[in-house]
Amino acid sequence: MPQQRRRIARFRAGQTVDFVVVGSGASGGVMAKELATAGFTVLVLEQGPRLEAHEFEHDEFKAFDRGYLNNTAALQPQVYLQGPGARPRRHQATVYHRLVGGGSVMFTSNYWRFKELDFNERSRHGSIGGTGFADWPITYAELEPYYTKAEWELGVSGVPGPFDPPRSRPYPLPPLPVKSSGVLFERGARALGLHPQPAPMAIISGPYRGRPGCQHCGYCAGFGCEHRAKSSTLVTTIPAAEATGRCEVRPNSYVRAIETDERGRARGVTYFDAAKAEHFQPARAVVVCANGCETPRLLLLSRSSRFPDGLANSSGLVGKYLMFNGNASTTGVFERQLNDWKSVMVTRMLWDFYDADPARGFYGGGGIDARYWGYPLLFVQGGLPPDAPTWGAEFKRLLRHNYSRTMNVDVHTTSLAVETNRVELDPVVRDDWGLAAARITYSDHPDDVAMMRFLAVKAVELLNAAGARRAWRPDNFEQQVGFHLLGTCRMGNDPRTSVVDRFHRTHDVRNVFLCDGSSLVTSGRGQPTCTIQALAYRAAEHIARFARRGEI
Amino acid sequence: MSDLSRRAFLAAAGTGIGAAWLAARPEDVAGAHAHADAARRASERGEAPPPLEVLTPEQAADVEAVAAQVIPTDDLPGAREAHVIHYVDSSLATWAADQRQPFLESLDRFNATVARRHPGRSRFAELTSEQQVRLLRASERDWFFRQVRTMTVIGMFANPSWGGNFEGAGWRVLGFEPRYVWQPPFGEYDADAQRGS
Repeated sequence: MPQQRRRIARFRAGQTVDFVVVGSGASGGVMAKELATAGFTVLVLEQGPRLEAHEFEHDEFKAFDRGYLNNTAALQPQVYLQGPGARPRRHQATVYHRLVGGGSVMFTSNYWRFKELDFNERSRHGSIGGTGFADWPITYAELEPYYTKAEWELGVSGVPGPFDPPRSRPYPLPPLPVKSSGVLFERGARALGLHPQPAPMAIISGPYRGRPGCQHCGYCAGFGCEHRAKSSTLVTTIPAAEATGRCEVRPNSYVRAIETDERGRARGVTYFDAAKAEHFQPARAVVVCANGCETPRLLLLSRSSRFPDGLANSSGLVGKYLMFNGNASTTGVFERQLNDWKSVMVTRMLWDFYDADPARGFYGGGGIDARYWGYPLLFVQGGLPPDAPTWGAEFKRLLRHNYSRTMNVDVHTTSLAVETNRVELDPVVRDDWGLAAARITYSDHPDDVAMMRFLAVKAVELLNAAGARRAWRPDNFEQQVGFHLLGTCRMGNDPRTSVVDRFHRTHDVRNVFLCDGSSLVTSGRGQPTCTIQALAYRAAEHIARFARRGEI
Repeated sequence: MSDLSRRAFLAAAGTGIGAAWLAARPEDVAGAHAHADAARRASERGEAPPPLEVLTPEQAADVEAVAAQVIPTDDLPGAREAHVIHYVDSSLATWAADQRQPFLESLDRFNATVARRHPGRSRFAELTSEQQVRLLRASERDWFFRQVRTMTVIGMFANPSWGGNFEGAGWRVLGFEPRYVWQPPFGEYDADAQRGS
C-alpha cells in the first residue's frame, strides 16, 4: 500500500520525546512502530551500528569466530559461574546481537507460537520444588490477536499442524519449499508414528509487502539477509516507524542509566554516543527492550539513593530466573546427497512431545526439528562423527563424503525458572565503556537436562528410522552459553513476586516499561521470538492507551 | 542458534590463535582483509604471490608441510593448493600479530624435536611424508600442531577474502558452491519427493 513517506524524525539534543525505547531488536522494533503509529514521538537508542540489507556478508569466519556484531569479550566481557558458589571466570555466557534489528536480523527464524498450556502450566502440572515455576498473568487467548498481528505484519510462512493452538487467521504465506532434511525427517517421524509438519518461519516464501521472497542462499542463522526475505524488524517495523515522521532510530547509542527525579519517576536516560561521549535524553516514559541480559543489567546499573538495589527492583527479582531453553543437536549421515547447506535451516518440525508428561518422571516438554549446521567452517570443526580423525587423508575423505550427506535433528526444550540462575553486576570487571560487566550464574535444572536427553534419544531414533547410515547425539547436555535470554524481569500481578505487571509496566516506576525476553514467566519450548514480538504488540497497545489517557 | 556458536566457540577457544581472534577488533579485521586481498589479486593475475611478510622461506616450508598433512592433496586440492600458508602469514602479520612470537618459538621447539628424533635433519619439511605423519601422530596434543591444524582448517574453508581457500579450493573439496541463490530441488531426497516417487 503506497504510503506518504514523511521525513524521518531527527530530534534535537535535549528535546524531550514521548518515549525512549532502549533496544531496536525483536521487541524494540515492534514497540517503536506501534508507538509512533499511535501518534507519539519515539527515540530508539540502539547499542550497535546500523547495517542495511546490502551490507550483510556470507563471511562465516567473521560472523562466528569474530562475532563481529555480537557482544564480544572485547566490548562487553562477562563473568560466568556454573552455579552459586562456583569459581567465577571470564566467559561470554549470554550472547546477543548488537545492531539495529538486533537478534531479529540474525536468528534462524523459527517462529513458533506458545500454546495455551505454556501460560498456565504451573496450575496444570503442580509446583516444582526449588523453582519459581509459575503461571503467567495473561492467557493464550489474550495474546492470540497479537500473535496473528505479528505474523501478518512481519511476514511468516507456514501451515498449522495437528498440535497447534487455535488461531484467528491462517499464516499469511505458504511454507517454504521442503529440503531433503525435511523429507527424511517426515519419513523417520511417520515411521515412529509421530506427526511432522512444515516449520513456521519468519522468512517470506514469496513476495510480501514490497519484499522479495527467499532466494535460498543458505545463510540464515547468524547472518543478516541481503534479500530482506528474513522478516526482521530492520526491514519491517523499523522503516514503518520511521515513515511516520515521529520516530528516530539512533545507532551506536549505548544507554548506561535510566535517570529518575525526586518523585521516583524516570525523567530520561543517559547514553554514550559512538565517540563514548555521554548525553542525557529527556523522555516522558522509557520502554526497555534491550534483551533478557541487558534489560536487567540496565536496571541494576540505574541504582540510586532512592533505588539502592537497582531500578524497579523492590521484589529483588531483577536479573533472577534466567532461562536459556534447552537445545541439543543430533546428526545423521545418509547414502545420497541432501545438499542441505542450501536454503533455510529448518523446513520440518514436530510437536508430539510438547506437553509435559508425568510418566517420564521429570518435568519438561519440547519440539524437534530437521535442520543443518552446514556452514563450511562450522561443519569441518564439528560436523563429523565423534570418533572421526581430525587431520590427514581420512579426515579429508570424510569431509568430502559427508558434507552434502549430513543433516541434524535438533531438540528444543523447556528451562525451569531457578532463582539462582541470574544476571548480576560484576564487582570487578568493566566493559569497554567502564560499566560493570554482566555476571551470569547458570546451571540447567536436572529436569531440563533430562528433557534434552529424552528428546535427543528420540531424535536419533528418528534419524535411524529415516534410513541414516549412521546417527549420533551428544552425551553432555549441560549448557554454559545462552542465546535465548528469558525470564529476568518476569511478569506478574503481585509486586512481591514479579517485576512488571500484566501490561509490562514496572510495579515500582509508573513510567518505565520492560518488554522483551525478560518478561517471560516460563520458557516455552525453545523458540521464543514469536511470543516476544506478540507481547510487544500487545504491550504497545496498552502503553499507548495509558499515554492517551494521561495514565503514565 | 546455540549449538552453532557453541561449536565454533569451543573450536576456537583454548588455542592461542582462537583466543587472539576472539579478542581482535574490527579495524584488525579490515586490515587482514586488505592484506589478504593484495596476495589474492596477484595470484589471480597469474603473478607470483607477494613475498611472505612474517615467515621466512624455511619457516613457511615447515608450516606448509604440516598443513599439507592436515589436508593432503589427492585428486582434489589440499592445503598447499588452497594457499593456506598465505592465510597463516597474513594472520600473523595482522590480527594475530601478538601470536607471532609464541608461534615462531613453538615452531623452533617443534623442529628441535625433529632434530632429536631424526639425526641429520633439522626441519620438519626435510622429513619424508611417512616420517612426518609418524611425528604428527605423536604430536597431536602439541600446542604448535594444534595451532597449525586450526589455521589450516580456517585457511582452507573460510572465505577466500582471508587469504586462503584459493579460488574456492576448500569448498570444492566439500562440494559447497558459493552461489548463494538456489531454487528447489536442493538435494536428491527432495527431488524424489517433488517427482512424487
